[in-house]
Amino acid sequence: MPISKDDPLRRREFARGVTDILPAMPGAVAWGVVTGVAMVKSGLALSWALAMSITAYAGSAQLAVLPLLKDASPLWLIGVTALITNLRFVIYSAAIRGWFTDYTRLRRVWLGYLSGDFVIVTFLNRVACEGTFVHRDAYFFGMCITNWVLWNVASIVGIVGAAYIPTQWGLEFAGVLALLALVVPLCRERPALAGETSAAVVAVLGHAWPLRLGMIAAIMIGITVAMLVDARQRAARASPQARS
Amino acid sequence: MDNYSPFEMILAIALIVVSTFVTRSALLVIGERVKFAPRVEAALRYAPVCALAALVAPEILLDAAGLAVSLDNPRLPAALAASLFLLWKRSIVGCIAVGMTVFALWRVFVTGS
Repeated sequence: MPISKDDPLRRREFARGVTDILPAMPGAVAWGVVTGVAMVKSGLALSWALAMSITAYAGSAQLAVLPLLKDASPLWLIGVTALITNLRFVIYSAAIRGWFTDYTRLRRVWLGYLSGDFVIVTFLNRVACEGTFVHRDAYFFGMCITNWVLWNVASIVGIVGAAYIPTQWGLEFAGVLALLALVVPLCRERPALAGETSAAVVAVLGHAWPLRLGMIAAIMIGITVAMLVDARQRAARASPQARS
Repeated sequence: MDNYSPFEMILAIALIVVSTFVTRSALLVIGERVKFAPRVEAALRYAPVCALAALVAPEILLDAAGLAVSLDNPRLPAALAASLFLLWKRSIVGCIAVGMTVFALWRVFVTGS
């Protein structure tokens, strides 16, 4: 994704992407370190851990396959588990795809690959507030590349320093807090709050389901509940007398 | 890991890489050809919130033994304090700092772990 030097507007969008994503990065860094440590502690050789971390670029999928690798599970199970752990990105990319149809296919492939939870939510927040803007790809890429670099540096630190980084500190909780910081501001509307709450309940109830299917059920039910509350709210606004 | 030959390890990693590409890029690439019903399109607005909630809730509410809703779970007061701080100041860095501080202090002074 070349950032042409003769277009200051493009560079400014790239820079804004970098600054917009930075506040969430302490969470991504903590998570990267913990993922790196977990890979080595599970018995993965240093070189495999490094290779997986840099190419797979999917923290939750990497953590999900670690116990499978340890148990010498068949490769198809590893592939299916990684796919299902990543399924939330199908829903994310469905939500953002309309903003990227102007760009070349190759560019979309890389922007998709480099995206992550923090990037998608920050992007959707901006277009929800400001509507469309030019050089969305540069803005998105600025966020992605910052996330990618910091995540990989953190993972490598975790992998190489696994012996010296205590796991009982609960460092990964910083990653949870960073995601929490993205969720809380989104829940001021009632449909979002209802969807979020039901997704949380289903995710907790279904956490032990095989292949992380509880997570998918949670997202589906959360979206459905949010839609129902949204529809009711609209109906109530349209005819205040006919409230049920 | 000696469970796999080097070739199988490369295959395993390749499968994870493929899943990353397929889930994140496929819909972006065929974006203009996929048309959803307006209702589904509207529903996608709520997808990130629900996905994040589904990701975060088990991390806060569960531990190795299962549901952990008690004062022995330092992540509950920490998440609560972090959320309140966020609603007040809207700073992500502050939210992480407040949450981690409460988390650490709670473990030292309350649960003693």
